[in-house]
Amino acid sequence: MDDVVEKAHLNETESLCPVCLRRIKATRMLRGDDVFLVKECGDHGSFSTVIWRGEPSMAEWRRPKAPVHPDLCYGAVEKGCPFDCGLCEAHVQLPCSVLIEVTDRCNLNCAVCFADSGRREAEDPSLENISRLLERAMAAAGPCNLQLSGGEPTLRDDLPDVVEVARRIGYSFIQVNTNGLRLAADKDYGRRLRAAGLSSVFLQFDGVDDAIYRSLRGRALLDQKLQAVMNCGETGLGVVLVPTLVKGLNTGSIGAIVRQALQLAPTVRGIHFQPVSFFGRFPGHTGDEGRFTLPELMRRLEEQTGGLVKASDFSPPGCEHAHCSFHATYMHSAKGGLRLIGAADGDSCCSDDLGTKGVRRTVETVSRRWILPSAAPVSNRLPISKKTSCCGGSSPDATRVEGPLDLDVFLQEVATRTFTISAMAFQDADNLDLERLRGCCISVISPDGMLVPFCAYNLTSREGKGLYRRRNGVGPQ
Amino acid sequence: MTEKANPGIDIGWICNQCKAALEIQKIRLQYSRVIFALDLPACPRCGMILIEEGLATGKMAEAEQVLEDK
Repeated sequence: MDDVVEKAHLNETESLCPVCLRRIKATRMLRGDDVFLVKECGDHGSFSTVIWRGEPSMAEWRRPKAPVHPDLCYGAVEKGCPFDCGLCEAHVQLPCSVLIEVTDRCNLNCAVCFADSGRREAEDPSLENISRLLERAMAAAGPCNLQLSGGEPTLRDDLPDVVEVARRIGYSFIQVNTNGLRLAADKDYGRRLRAAGLSSVFLQFDGVDDAIYRSLRGRALLDQKLQAVMNCGETGLGVVLVPTLVKGLNTGSIGAIVRQALQLAPTVRGIHFQPVSFFGRFPGHTGDEGRFTLPELMRRLEEQTGGLVKASDFSPPGCEHAHCSFHATYMHSAKGGLRLIGAADGDSCCSDDLGTKGVRRTVETVSRRWILPSAAPVSNRLPISKKTSCCGGSSPDATRVEGPLDLDVFLQEVATRTFTISAMAFQDADNLDLERLRGCCISVISPDGMLVPFCAYNLTSREGKGLYRRRNGVGPQ
Repeated sequence: MTEKANPGIDIGWICNQCKAALEIQKIRLQYSRVIFALDLPACPRCGMILIEEGLATGKMAEAEQVLEDK
């Protein structure tokens, strides 16, 4: 087919030059079944990056939202998006999650790290400073879900105090993003976090094979990951597994991760996949070869689970921009049955006007799904023993269940047996789409008290120059 | 979709339109992607289903809230 005929111009947006970070026009271009972001900088030439491969098509993956603007803006519109983040009044979504980096220290030296942590000697921000930042975030963003991040947050002995401070300020859903090493080694630490009011653990979990951890994290970690899940279950903390997906390294392990997660339910509440982005620290940039887009992940989920989950199960988000994520919710019975209970396709269930309703609904839904309910029987909370949990286990193999369901059984089981599979595609300097960025609902509260969309905060040029991190000084103040 | 569960049993309700006695039928109710099977009173002639207030504001409302997605 003639190349000119093959290409179809989809629509215009804006992006940045990945070299100089200047704002430039960009076009979403359809070539065959794939969509590319094509842009040109007067000084650095033209760039083309794949942003969507195959079915479900980008054109059908939509969930329009009525724009909502922050009431209290810490950033003034001066230079234009994405240089005025605070948020500014040109932003078209409210935050549903606020992330704060409570340390820059780390006890791993991962090949992949969006924060490029652990390379500098930096003092942790004081409890008083964290309190001030959280109050400032609360004033502008309201009672969002709060993510304690880093660095490795569990290196702080006073993390339970941070959780208590956040609770006092009014955050009701608080999660910690962690590699799990301390939670595996120190059960009492988990208890203290739980007692302080921690809601959920976002556990870095890249596969069920130590070769993956050695390559991505520098050493074998699987035993510690499983121990961390077990300790969280005993403490009453729900866990969400968070695999960073690197094409060719663990994109063949997606089905195995799903099976493993189901073995560890209900302590494990779900999986949140994150295809690697090229910002911060990452293994060599391999261009389009290294890109793993959301539709590819949906299809791999179906293929590698033998249809246990299906690509058609997944829906676009009601909060962030449709191109940023997908999700599905299931009910996982004690007998191993996995039943889709997620929303219908975005177009049919959510007209075109979620607006603030979408944000509040997301805050509530995430809280409900990712907490380990106290109603869960203790025996159900405990994952199976470490020895049997890897690559098999003693729980019945999950099988897909469809057809009518008894309402009473549903109401009894749904409180404790929901299981979510979701994914988020972060943006880097090559694939940044400012339309998506303006619709972002995950903000970092920066050390200088600005709310900055996650991808803008972490974005680095091809030479490693930060859009926000460097401006604010490296690491938390 | 309906089918008769206990045909002929008088449950004390009459269809206002058809004047026929309602009978318990197996009813399938769909919300989002979930289909619930329930035994509910229905008119054998026009198929109208009776959902009593307690069920509508109780278990069905609870299920709806759970299924509301982000």
